[in-house]
Amino acid sequence: MYLYLDESSWLHRCHPLVRLVVAFALFVAAFLADRAVWQVPLLVVVALLVGTTGAWRNVVRLRYLFVVVAVMTFAVWSLFYRAVDEPELWRLGPLMVSEASLRFAATMALKLTVFLAAGTVFLSVTRVEEFAFALTSAGLPYRIGFAITLSFRLVPVFLESARKVVEAQRCRGFDFERGGLAERVRRYVPVLVPVFMGALRRTDGLAMALDARGFQLDEDRTSYLHYPVSSTDVEVVLASAAMVVGYVVLSWRGVLTFV
Amino acid sequence: MRTAPDTQATGLFSMWRNTRMVVLTAISASLFAALLIPFKLLPLIPGVTELRPANAIPVVCSLLFGPAAAWGAAIGNLIGDFFGGFGPGALVGAAGNFFYGLLPYRVWRAFSDEDPVPSTIRQWVLFVYSLAVASAACALVVGWGINALGFVPFQALTNIVFANNFIVSLVLAPLLLRALYGRVRVAGLRFDDLRTAAPRPRPMRYAGVVLVSIATFGGIWVGNMLALGYLVLPIESVAQVTIGVAPFVVLLLIGALLL
Repeated sequence: MYLYLDESSWLHRCHPLVRLVVAFALFVAAFLADRAVWQVPLLVVVALLVGTTGAWRNVVRLRYLFVVVAVMTFAVWSLFYRAVDEPELWRLGPLMVSEASLRFAATMALKLTVFLAAGTVFLSVTRVEEFAFALTSAGLPYRIGFAITLSFRLVPVFLESARKVVEAQRCRGFDFERGGLAERVRRYVPVLVPVFMGALRRTDGLAMALDARGFQLDEDRTSYLHYPVSSTDVEVVLASAAMVVGYVVLSWRGVLTFV
Repeated sequence: MRTAPDTQATGLFSMWRNTRMVVLTAISASLFAALLIPFKLLPLIPGVTELRPANAIPVVCSLLFGPAAAWGAAIGNLIGDFFGGFGPGALVGAAGNFFYGLLPYRVWRAFSDEDPVPSTIRQWVLFVYSLAVASAACALVVGWGINALGFVPFQALTNIVFANNFIVSLVLAPLLLRALYGRVRVAGLRFDDLRTAAPRPRPMRYAGVVLVSIATFGGIWVGNMLALGYLVLPIESVAQVTIGVAPFVVLLLIGALLL
């Protein structure tokens, strides 16, 4: 259901917080670069990550999303970017295409591709528990981390419940596709109510089970998850920090600014 | 052994000390995410947003579970992004949906101590206004943040997110609340059943509603005007909207804290 790939690549073996740092560093660097040419080194880094972690399988799985996001971003920014003192190539009311808007749109499409690919790599190498572990390692309160993990765990349960209700309603001849838009939205009520009530029935049991195990206590928590920090972790963090510092310096000197 | 000093506290942050509220947060999040994934009625911007019946869930959960729905909507949106779109936009989406889950209950309770199941004209006006403010707050934060990241222009996304959230919640939320509210009250799981702390003084809540209303509707209007070029700040193109709308986002935050 999720994108996680059960492999043992070098990034899989890194500390969860280090994986989060790598993704964050790529996000920051891509965000700072408003010139297409400076997105290219990041695309190379992401491609290396995709290739060495096995994440290419998820990239193939999400290929339509990659194409749609890049094409839509290019199309939307081509029309909506308002270039100052640039000759218009085409105009329709407030929509305008110029050479600058096309260059800006191409940069944004590349930027989103880097974001999407970096996110895909992160999801490919990180389990839900590791994500919550990384967040709590970074200072997120335990209870919030627990709520995130519990939410992820409950999604397949409610998804299955919703599918069963849909199938049951369809067996009774219920047609979800009939009518106009408002009518179609309303037709989901017979699905949402039983799923919601099923969820509520779990609430008291879950809360009591948690309290019985000392969830209310403020003591330090113990965990089955332990991730020793290795030399690879240190090297990866240093490389990520160097990349971010480099892009911050370039941005500060105006090299990354769109012109 | 230390125990949490105030286990009955149910404010926006102190609710994390109440186990039932933590579980309700996870339930809200997983319901939202589980119903986001399978039920997509109509793509509005392919790869970015669709018309989804699940958009009514944060509103319904808000009016039932109070602040648990705010955190639940944020986490639920994050989970949705774990199925392919994880990136810096996930944080923006989580922030926008946080307000979408927070404001319906807070705005309703600022003016009424009755059950949020509208039947009279006065209740319907307040109900529709609560949904409009919450939808506008979500649209403002998402549109502003996504525009700042360079994903989609403000005017292309904000108005769609507002219409999407408002229409779906207006059609579905009253029907769902009518079916669910009594059952949740019997189960003793409404926020009104779990909270023991007194709400803020009424004048403070009125001030909060005024600030939030100015921030949301004013921010969307100013953002659209800046994006379409009818208002111009003496700065470059993309940053126009980012900087021009930022004060409204800060105002929204202050208003929400007063509620």
